[in-house]
Amino acid sequence: MARPAVILVGADKGGVGKTTVARTLIDYFGAHQTPTRAFDTEWPRGTLKRFHPDLTEVVDVTSVPDQMKIFDTLGSADAKVTVIDVRAGLLSSTLQALTDIGFLESAKKGQITFAVFHILGSSIASLDEIAETARVVGDASYFLVKNFINNTTFFDWDPATYNSYFKKIKGAEEIVIPKLNEMAFEQVEVASVPFVSFVANKGPKNEAANNSFVLRGYVRHWLGNVWGEFDRVKLVDLVSPKIESNVRQVAG
Amino acid sequence: MSFRSSITIVSSPRPRVGKTLLARVLTDFHLHESRAVSAFDLNVGERTLAQFLPEHTTTATIRDINGQMALFDRLIAKDDTTKIIDLGHESFELFFRVAHEIGFVAEARDRSVAVAILFIVTPDKTSVDAYRTIRDRFAQATLAPVHNEMLGPAQHRDKYPLAGRSPTLVRLPVLAPGLRRYIETPPFSFTESITGKAAGVPRDAHSELQRWLRRIYLEFRELDLRILLADLRSSIQFGS
Repeated sequence: MARPAVILVGADKGGVGKTTVARTLIDYFGAHQTPTRAFDTEWPRGTLKRFHPDLTEVVDVTSVPDQMKIFDTLGSADAKVTVIDVRAGLLSSTLQALTDIGFLESAKKGQITFAVFHILGSSIASLDEIAETARVVGDASYFLVKNFINNTTFFDWDPATYNSYFKKIKGAEEIVIPKLNEMAFEQVEVASVPFVSFVANKGPKNEAANNSFVLRGYVRHWLGNVWGEFDRVKLVDLVSPKIESNVRQVAG
Repeated sequence: MSFRSSITIVSSPRPRVGKTLLARVLTDFHLHESRAVSAFDLNVGERTLAQFLPEHTTTATIRDINGQMALFDRLIAKDDTTKIIDLGHESFELFFRVAHEIGFVAEARDRSVAVAILFIVTPDKTSVDAYRTIRDRFAQATLAPVHNEMLGPAQHRDKYPLAGRSPTLVRLPVLAPGLRRYIETPPFSFTESITGKAAGVPRDAHSELQRWLRRIYLEFRELDLRILLADLRSSIQFGS
């Protein structure tokens, strides 16, 4: 049996697009027919659950019972991939908790596949977060995500400084989430459906919707580019080596 | 699928090459054939198409997302209406970029609507490069180079290789100089000129105009048939 995979999506800062990235990941694995479940740690009210209610459970990641709910079920759950959308400010403490319960040790031994999607903010403080996070990430696959969806400019980063942080982390890879037209993004928010459902013109209960063809086209194009980034870093190979990873056709 | 359920984009990245005249004649051709027609004027400033065909023309802009939604969502609506776009040179690059990004041609074909791009050829590099980009990006559309004979003899056809689903060249014949003043003064309708209702056109000019229209309508009918044949061919291949 393939080993379970855990993908942590987080940042120590709010409003950088963690949930958006988590949503694209769930859609991506869905397109690959890879059984996926998600935990939304914005307890007690989660945003991720609004878009993926059937796959998502809202948990308090700081509580031991909820930690058990996530990590004690990794081997027994039908879902092969577990995506955890970590609430703002909890990334470092969640990683510390994973160290304490021996999860990172299991990942190191190869019993669990573990990846961290660290969503970067535009401020220089984000660079300090990289060093802090890298310290505890250990042997996990570490992805630094530059999220341009809301036109972030990363204006105050000196490339040399950024590279000095980036290169400190062995095996770290950069992922770029491109900008999506504001109105298209807003309409998906209003529709409260996965990106793939919006593209397919479906509502929350899979019923026919009446979304603008233009907005659907922009979302499809954007999602294809995001998945292209996931293809580039061989994300499917990471969590499920046997599955083919040409996914953009599904986005189309 | 045939030209009767179609979207035709009259285009060139160059100004003053005859796009609006071609769009006018094409709109009147479909009206003459008793088809429901909607024309879209995407020119900045001058709204010549709207002046000549006010009942059938919508002025449009695609500079913002609202304009793009208003145009493209209407273009692909299933309403059994033939749509013609007079694509001003200012909107040329943006129109095809958006169309490519949102998968416009594929969506139209999914809805059994043919997309034809009439591209008025000129010898400049900008046009040649633009033609090649369109040919590569919109392989599912019919791309027909148009030789406007009023621009002079075509010595650059080799720069515009025929390609796509129904390769053909459309000729916009030379118009007798004396006719321009009639057809370029609104309100003038080619359809009305055929039925003899166009006011102020002398008999000899009327005869000359009919000859010219017969030639260009023949070009349109041939293009229509080529698209129909290409669709039949692809249907047969798909079915076998």
